[in-house]
Amino acid sequence: MRSNRVGWLMLAPTIAILGIFGIVPFLYVLYVAFHQWNPFGANPYMIYNGADNFRRLVFDNEFLTSIAFTLKFAFFAVVSEVILGYLLAQLFMREFPGRGLFRTIHTLPLIVAPIVVGSVWRLMTTPSIGIIPYLLKSWFGYDLNIGRDATMAFALTVIMDIWHWTPLVTLTLLAALVSLPKEPFEQAQIDGANRWQIFWHVTLPMIRPAILATVFIRLMDALRTVDEVWMLTGGGPGAATRYLGLHIWKIVFPKTDYGYGSATSIIVLYLTLVMCWLLYVALVARRDQKRPS
Amino acid sequence: MKHELRMGLAALAVSLMTSVMPAKADFWSDAGAKYKGVTLHGVTESTPPSNYIKDVLAPAFEKATGIKVEIETTSWDQMYDKAIKDMEAKTGIYDMVYIEQDIIYAYLARDFLVDITKSLKDDPSLKAPEYDETHFTTFANYFKNADGDLFGIPMEAFIKLYLYRTDLFNDPAIKEAFKKETGKDLVPAKTHEEYTQIAEFFTKWGKDHNLELWGTTAQAHTGHPASWYEFFESIAPTFGVYNWGIDASKNYSASVANGGTMNSDKAKAALKYWLHLRDIAPPESPASTWTEVGTTFAAGRAAQGLVYGENAAWIAADAEKSKVVGNVGVALPPLAPGVMEDAEAGKGYIGYYDGGAFGLPVTSKNKEAALLFLQYIGQDSVQGDWAVAAPRITNTATYDDPKVIEMDKKLNGYYTMLKNDGKLFAGAPPYPFHAQVREATAPIFYKILLGEVSSDDGLDQMAAAAEAELKNLGYRK
Repeated sequence: MRSNRVGWLMLAPTIAILGIFGIVPFLYVLYVAFHQWNPFGANPYMIYNGADNFRRLVFDNEFLTSIAFTLKFAFFAVVSEVILGYLLAQLFMREFPGRGLFRTIHTLPLIVAPIVVGSVWRLMTTPSIGIIPYLLKSWFGYDLNIGRDATMAFALTVIMDIWHWTPLVTLTLLAALVSLPKEPFEQAQIDGANRWQIFWHVTLPMIRPAILATVFIRLMDALRTVDEVWMLTGGGPGAATRYLGLHIWKIVFPKTDYGYGSATSIIVLYLTLVMCWLLYVALVARRDQKRPS
Repeated sequence: MKHELRMGLAALAVSLMTSVMPAKADFWSDAGAKYKGVTLHGVTESTPPSNYIKDVLAPAFEKATGIKVEIETTSWDQMYDKAIKDMEAKTGIYDMVYIEQDIIYAYLARDFLVDITKSLKDDPSLKAPEYDETHFTTFANYFKNADGDLFGIPMEAFIKLYLYRTDLFNDPAIKEAFKKETGKDLVPAKTHEEYTQIAEFFTKWGKDHNLELWGTTAQAHTGHPASWYEFFESIAPTFGVYNWGIDASKNYSASVANGGTMNSDKAKAALKYWLHLRDIAPPESPASTWTEVGTTFAAGRAAQGLVYGENAAWIAADAEKSKVVGNVGVALPPLAPGVMEDAEAGKGYIGYYDGGAFGLPVTSKNKEAALLFLQYIGQDSVQGDWAVAAPRITNTATYDDPKVIEMDKKLNGYYTMLKNDGKLFAGAPPYPFHAQVREATAPIFYKILLGEVSSDDGLDQMAAAAEAELKNLGYRK
């Protein structure tokens, strides 16, 4: 009984912080989501409107388009980051001259604020001024214009995200690889397994928890990306890079449609949870069920 | 004896003057003494006039009063985010906020701002001797309520004007080539047809001579409201489409069917004209906001263009930033027939008169000290140097300042144009729903820019979207 009290006491600050900064704002957003509230409307006060905001979302083409673009962005960014991150982690497992320096340089993007990353990429990609359009034009005769080319704008947001966040994946997977015991690998080599078989049947299952944790973190981040993309493309051209985070930002801040923005946020949170749960079921739960007892 | 008497009287006069003068000069230190140690926080857009406040006026005020002033200069979007959030949540972080002319109606509707006129009347001890509301130009009227009370101290005011390269327009070879090709003299355009012809000529000239030169600028970003603003505030009015095509007197109608003009034939012609210019403008135009347009012109990449006046000084005079120093001419924007007559009769306008003021949020915790600062930046005595550093004029006396007259020559008469023709331009319409209507219609506008929807259909859709949003906001019944 006494130890329980001490336990709760120790947990109290965390629970208080979580409550104040997590649960209370969430409940408030939930409350606002059931109201029409635009402070610059003819009636600037909150008016209860039931589930109207949620109903409106179902028919909102901009929102639905935004979901599609965000999922596409998250898929390409996260998959590329995991593959690249794993390859780089494997590279850093080996000894080669300048490994320490290369690892440090490779990690540098992580310490740059997203808004700065967006600004730098914008400078590098601005037509006629940026170095990337210049090089592409000089070397391949290709005119890169992210103000007009929706596909390239989308691709650049993915590349920028990969550049920024792959080091995080590398570090996580490197930590997982370093901590693996040597025996299973030696056993597999003795049994005559080739490199692919070792990777598929030994390495991958053993680092699966680290990969999953990384994928969850990166997926959630990718689904709520705002500042980098806002700086690079402003969501354009058109709506090509108006991802969910940016979409919500535009509803809540410039448009000041707090009720609708809150409802959108709640739905996006729900979608994120569902996606993570589906991923968990697909990659962990099923495999655990198949495992012989 | 007479001489001695004169000398004595003169000495008396001098001693009287010296005893009176410090009392006036010391107003700031006397008034500031009560608030010594206070730190005022302001947020504004990072523009040349705002940077001058941050770098020059704030330190000078601090020296005079002992009141510290911290000015945060940030992007346009961030500035509004911060200011509105602060006033909405009543956190009282900011003691001064930048009020762009087009947001004042929304702020007044929400009672966000302190009535400066009334506050100074209620507490005369705060009234600075050199500050006088009547010294402001008529631009200050945008920041007054129906009773004529002022809610913001004007700190920048400029028109979006037609800039052209005098070196190119006066080049004999170019003039001759233009005459040969068009049969006309190369002079700044007065009509849209002339402007288009000049733009096409220079874009071709640049291409033929392997130059990084195009015929016009275009603020045509495909994901930023700057393009929306260029069309509705600078292009559409020159075709006779005013107030964004929304008619408040007709139940806030935007569509022609309901009495608006957003999708009128004039608006459609204006959009086609502008889209063509965008197509022959430098390649960076689809990624250009107001800032990049100034940069493009300063880099010598455009022969002519519509550029915000706040950038005119550095483009024309700052050799460290601009390649076209000494080669910048100013003119009124090209117009469709009847628009000038509308403007002169007060029924319309020929372009955008932009600017802003510094306001005092009702949520400020240091209102009295902030009032002192606002008066400090509103005095006539600080205006001359400010106008030279950043081309903005908010006080009538500034036009006669020798430094400003000198600068006006370098700018080829920009200040004279502001003084004489400023009345032909207008700020944004007095609607409290700017960002809301803009955001409701901008996605369709971006689709037009990308060619995903035709300009005619797009404007029809925008008019419908604007009306739907106005209904949702409760303005349209």
